[in-house]
Amino acid sequence: MRRSTQRTHLAALLALAVGACARGEHVPVRGGLAVTDDAGRRVTLAVSARRVVSLLPTFTEILFEIGAGDRVVGRTAWCDYPPEALTVPSVGDGMPPSVEAVAARHPDLVVLYRSGPNVAAAEQLERLGIRTVLFDLNLLEQLGPATRRLGVLTGQEKRADSLARVMDSLASQPPTPSTRSLVFIVWDNPPIVIGAGSYLDRLAALAGARNVFHDVSSPSAQVSIETIAARDPDFVAVLTDSAVPPRYATRPEWRVVRAVRTARFLFLPGQLFGRPGPRAAEAIRELRRRLEAAP
Amino acid sequence: MKYVLLAAALLATLAAALLLGPANVPLGDVLASPILWQLRLPRAVLAFLVGGALGASGVALQALVRNPLADPFLLGLSGGAGLGAVVAIALHLPGPWALPLAAFVGAVGAMALVYRLGLIGGAELDPRILLLGGVAVGAFAAAVTTAIVSLAEATELRNAFLWLWGGFSGASWTTVLVILVYAPLPLIVLAAAARPLDLLALGEEPAQYLGADVRRLKRVVYLSASLLTAAAVAVAGVIGFVGLIVPHVCRLLWGRLHRTLFPTAFLAGGILLTTADTLARTVVAPRELPVGIVTALVGVPLFAFLLRRWSVS
Amino acid sequence: MERELIVAVRDLTCRYAGAPRDALSGVSLEVRSGEFHALLGPNGSGKTTLLRAALGLVAPVQGRVEILARPAGDWSRRDLARVVGVVPQREESLFPQRVHETVLLGRYPHLSLFGGVRAADRAAVERALVACDAVDLADRWLWTLSGGEYQRVRLARALAQEPKLLVLDEPTASLDLRHEMELFELVRALVDGQGLAALMITHHVNLAARFADQVLILAEGRAVARGGPADVLTRETVERVFSWPVAIEPFEGRPQMIPLRQRKDAP
Repeated sequence: MRRSTQRTHLAALLALAVGACARGEHVPVRGGLAVTDDAGRRVTLAVSARRVVSLLPTFTEILFEIGAGDRVVGRTAWCDYPPEALTVPSVGDGMPPSVEAVAARHPDLVVLYRSGPNVAAAEQLERLGIRTVLFDLNLLEQLGPATRRLGVLTGQEKRADSLARVMDSLASQPPTPSTRSLVFIVWDNPPIVIGAGSYLDRLAALAGARNVFHDVSSPSAQVSIETIAARDPDFVAVLTDSAVPPRYATRPEWRVVRAVRTARFLFLPGQLFGRPGPRAAEAIRELRRRLEAAP
Repeated sequence: MKYVLLAAALLATLAAALLLGPANVPLGDVLASPILWQLRLPRAVLAFLVGGALGASGVALQALVRNPLADPFLLGLSGGAGLGAVVAIALHLPGPWALPLAAFVGAVGAMALVYRLGLIGGAELDPRILLLGGVAVGAFAAAVTTAIVSLAEATELRNAFLWLWGGFSGASWTTVLVILVYAPLPLIVLAAAARPLDLLALGEEPAQYLGADVRRLKRVVYLSASLLTAAAVAVAGVIGFVGLIVPHVCRLLWGRLHRTLFPTAFLAGGILLTTADTLARTVVAPRELPVGIVTALVGVPLFAFLLRRWSVS
Repeated sequence: MERELIVAVRDLTCRYAGAPRDALSGVSLEVRSGEFHALLGPNGSGKTTLLRAALGLVAPVQGRVEILARPAGDWSRRDLARVVGVVPQREESLFPQRVHETVLLGRYPHLSLFGGVRAADRAAVERALVACDAVDLADRWLWTLSGGEYQRVRLARALAQEPKLLVLDEPTASLDLRHEMELFELVRALVDGQGLAALMITHHVNLAARFADQVLILAEGRAVARGGPADVLTRETVERVFSWPVAIEPFEGRPQMIPLRQRKDAP
């Protein structure tokens, strides 16, 4: 080989390497694919994954969105979007994942959300020779990187990249100036509200609503009815598929909260609002629409 | 004299409970504020009643099993309540009363089971059998609870556990009314058992020779104390330490005769729990601590202090 | 003057559930006021069972027990506690208490359900303490008392019940000579001075012989002999019941038992 050709090849490789290091996510390895997952593990595949088991509804959505839907051979019982996902066999509710059910699908890649029980399940799957990858998925910012790496592993980098860019731009949007305030109440006895550490708080901010518990840094917190009343949110947001006021709405002690007393509830369907995913923008638009439609 | 002291402490505690809180209620508006009437007052009253019930129940059970380490929850009631609560949530039972009712039924079920165990082989509620039976029933209930939790949807059940760890955030006038109607009967029964319980401290046979109908006494006291505790759990979850420590504190301060011990433990238990609840909702505002943690943090050093004073004197 | 019949046990047979033989078999006993009865017998002979049955705690298989001419089973525990004061063998002491508090417990059968302690009750406590020579112990904590003092206090508690009959179950079991004698003298004085009846289970055959008016010896649930000490405590009877050779010597008109050594060659 002529020296100049060698040098070009080397330069190209170096350029690619430098460019990839800037992202810090993946490096094309000669003859294989590799990413670093959120548990700090280096996950390598010889060829792009052909049989993927997804253990989180968001991952299922992403996989279908980037055109890798036909490679999904297993999903959790909760994965209900897009509708095509329902034709994929379920491997249980995934909490914790049934290692046997997953292995029975003969996957070459299993995608898990990073949590204690899932890490343990991943280790067991690895012992069976099945590759696993763990992603954090609590915040809007984590959607982009997860999408990109899924794209690498399934050979759908181009589509993954364009979806990721949409997610990243959404995540980097500054909060819309808020004209309304709300509180997310997920449980009534004891009262549990959503704080800044949660994806829902971010959604609200992008939709132009201020979460009155934004000062609480954890994803959720136990508070008293009085605190909610004192902060006087304009709306009470409830994650539910129905439009029926929650059961505590008629209780006198809850009616001290103005939004409960005046029945200003926002009923947010779980499928769209319950988890961060590719339809985040749609969720934000829907929330904004409802806020503006309310009196 | 002691009742004057307790009454003063009670007034101070109530005042604190009514005036402190995250909502800034100006002093002038206090009497008109719905925050006071619908939230703080029923909550303070309920905490007082539950604390009193737990204190009295603790006195009764310590006398019954003749063991100063007895706590109302030693007899499997908390396990039963937890199981009831979890079943109610797993089955999505409707209505705001589903959870407390189910917890109550669970606690009473555990009580009946331990009672039955205590009668096996003519044991006649032998204290050791009661304690062992309580531990066994509690462990069994906890195991079934864990099984249900592992098979059902996780989030709602996590919230059920938060409820079980104790708290008064759900306090309402309706709840207060329920307790006010329910509690007097077991309390009166326990008050009537005060003298026989003094005798029981000598042992079952000596007590009989001094005129106590020990068989009836044990059954009646066990059932009354358990029913009081079951109601407390149904309304406020499992709040430990009150039933264990308050009887000891009152005994140290005001003697062991039950005629004194029942009323003082009722008042002291109520004061302790109301104070603990006020702390629970103000110390880490806007968040809340589970009340059971605060009762332990407040109760244990108090008890240690009293113990030192008593052993020195 | 006919002495009042307090307890009448007639042909009593008792058996505990699952036991191979009767605990008591055809035992009779009459205790009248002003009489000091001693109940003797080897371990397991049924003495405590007789006591429990006499006080209505154990239901007989056969026979009758009457207290003040009423069947024992008809008495409520409270009413019975006003007639019979018992000093049981064992009692528990869970929380610290003072002497006057524990003696006051003896007044409980006389107190009304929600009523308070009256002057008459305190007077009864005072009298009981005086009778047992325990007035100076009144403010002491129970756990500071010696064995003898503790027994006197428990006896005072039984006296505070203002009973007609005192029942004591091995009251001198762990007492030294002086306290043992003092206790027997005290019971004798109460019987003589206040006209009480007394029934005492004891292992101390000699003191029973010295102090008691009537002795009942039980063996394997059966009454072996009943009557005055001189009539009952003969060498043949004692040797048979206690399975040990003895000599009987009179002292102050009462038989005293002297156990003989088994091994002749020992010094």
